Amino acid sequence: MTTQRAEAAAAPAIDIRFGQMGLIQVLIWTTDPGAILDELTGRVATAPKFFQRTAVALDVGPLGREPSAEEMRGVLEAVRRAGMCPVGLASGPAAAQALSQPLDLPLLPPFREFHPPAEALGRAGARRVEAVPAELEPEGAAAQVHTHPVRSGQRTYARGRDLVVTAMVGAGAEVIADGCVHVYGALRGRAVAGARGDAAARVFCQEFHAELVSIAGVFRVFETLPPELAGQPVQAWLDGDVLRFERLGV
Amino acid sequence: MTEIIVVTSGKGGVGKTTTSASMACGLARRGKRVAVIDFDIGLRNLDLIMGCERRVVYDFVNVINGDCTLKQALIKDKRIETLYVLAASQTRDKDALTEEGVRKVLDQLIADGFDYILCDSPAGIEKGAHLAMYFADRAVVVVNPEVSSVRDSDRILGLLSSKTQRSSNGNGGVKEHLLLTRYNPRRVANGEMMSVGDIKEILGLDVIGVVPESPDVLAASNAGVPVILNDDSTAAEAYSDAVARLLGEELPLRFLEEPKRGFFARMFGG
Ligand SMILES: Nc1ncnc2c1ncn2[C@@H]1O[C@H](COP(=O)(O)OP(=O)(O)OP(=O)(O)O)[C@@H](O)[C@H]1O
Ligand SMILES: [Mg+2]
Repeated sequence: MTTQRAEAAAAPAIDIRFGQMGLIQVLIWTTDPGAILDELTGRVATAPKFFQRTAVALDVGPLGREPSAEEMRGVLEAVRRAGMCPVGLASGPAAAQALSQPLDLPLLPPFREFHPPAEALGRAGARRVEAVPAELEPEGAAAQVHTHPVRSGQRTYARGRDLVVTAMVGAGAEVIADGCVHVYGALRGRAVAGARGDAAARVFCQEFHAELVSIAGVFRVFETLPPELAGQPVQAWLDGDVLRFERLGV
Repeated sequence: MTEIIVVTSGKGGVGKTTTSASMACGLARRGKRVAVIDFDIGLRNLDLIMGCERRVVYDFVNVINGDCTLKQALIKDKRIETLYVLAASQTRDKDALTEEGVRKVLDQLIADGFDYILCDSPAGIEKGAHLAMYFADRAVVVVNPEVSSVRDSDRILGLLSSKTQRSSNGNGGVKEHLLLTRYNPRRVANGEMMSVGDIKEILGLDVIGVVPESPDVLAASNAGVPVILNDDSTAAEAYSDAVARLLGEELPLRFLEEPKRGFFARMFGG
């Protein structure tokens, strides 16, 4: 008994690890809390498991102006009420600098530069949720190969390269790559390609039952994935701002 | 050569203890020397199902703490010569089990020449479940034909392939088997429950046995006689088949369809 207590005392109180992979970004197009709450609750409802209590960073860039701290408190409240947990501000826009202190939120660098698609300008609410890119990796690396099933609760990340999984990916599992994701088996979990913003990245799988597919931050959850593709060999790619899906080999 | 088998599931109440007791009996009945260990600290269950609860003097934690020898704590089964039970402790101290302590007990059982050590895991993915699987050579993952149980099993399979001694020392990993329990063919046919095929496909593993839902199981636990010893129960036959498959025999799966009901049963809804 006494030895156990001694062990407990020697154990560190905390551990610090680096890794912001997969942090979700909410782009703010308006500071109208009502509009944000409406749109976000809709999105959170389509993927409750994915968004509830998820850490997100807010990007005020799309506003094109510097919102007041008061306005932003309303925004934060709306985002929280939608079930997400705002943990920081995207450090890109100058406005974020000024807001960091009064809102008591850290600046989270470096984000991918955002180019709003023309047709999306002027729309209310959070338009798009993006993955936060980390620093860049040297190019030309071979794919990372994973030969065992990726099970529920597990996550595999191929940094700066493609990810090839030669087994199944279970529901609740995540396969993430900065390049393409290839699954030679059933894909039941989440596949994230172009995790650092490469819009040319694709997702390929032999048997499509995905919970979520995301490429360069544009994603779709299973409720909105084409049902006729269930069980088929499928590829997904980004066509402008639209995520497209197609049966492979037809 | 001793083989350590963990019976695990993630989800609670799916039939791990029932399975541990029956498979231990089944292996011992075939002449193997078997020790079955209850890892569910605080909730002693295995000894009840094995019918030896009144003979528990020392338990697993007592052995680990050196309060007694392993020999004193092992309870010899009254029915089968080569079967021994190591009961869980009723302590509320969840830290009573340590990796070192568990290793010590397993090493002694190995030195004693046991053929099989069955580890009945507690539910969840916390420490007890972790320690029950950590030293395993094989795993029997018990799953019920419903979504949440299948999902938890997937979770456990992930841990088996990453958080066990075999997965980390490059010994080829833990050999994994699925055992479906509480299978109700009628509800599967109605689409209320998942089929063997669905579960096999989702988890990407072979099935070592399908045990039908049966009132004999509850009767058996109440009587303290593992259900596999009930001579006219389909659950017993299913467990016997599973034991045979564990030993490498190839048998077709049985009890996947609802038994044909006799004329009188149909007439009177019996
Ligand atoms: N094939 C079966 N048919 C009917 N009932 C069953 C069957 N298998 C198990 N049960 C019942 O399910 C309940 C749970 O069984 P058991 O204690 O073996 O599960 P467990 O996984 O060990 O639970 P825990 O997670 O609490 O340790 C018991 O009441 C048992 O009688
Ligand atoms: Mg149990």
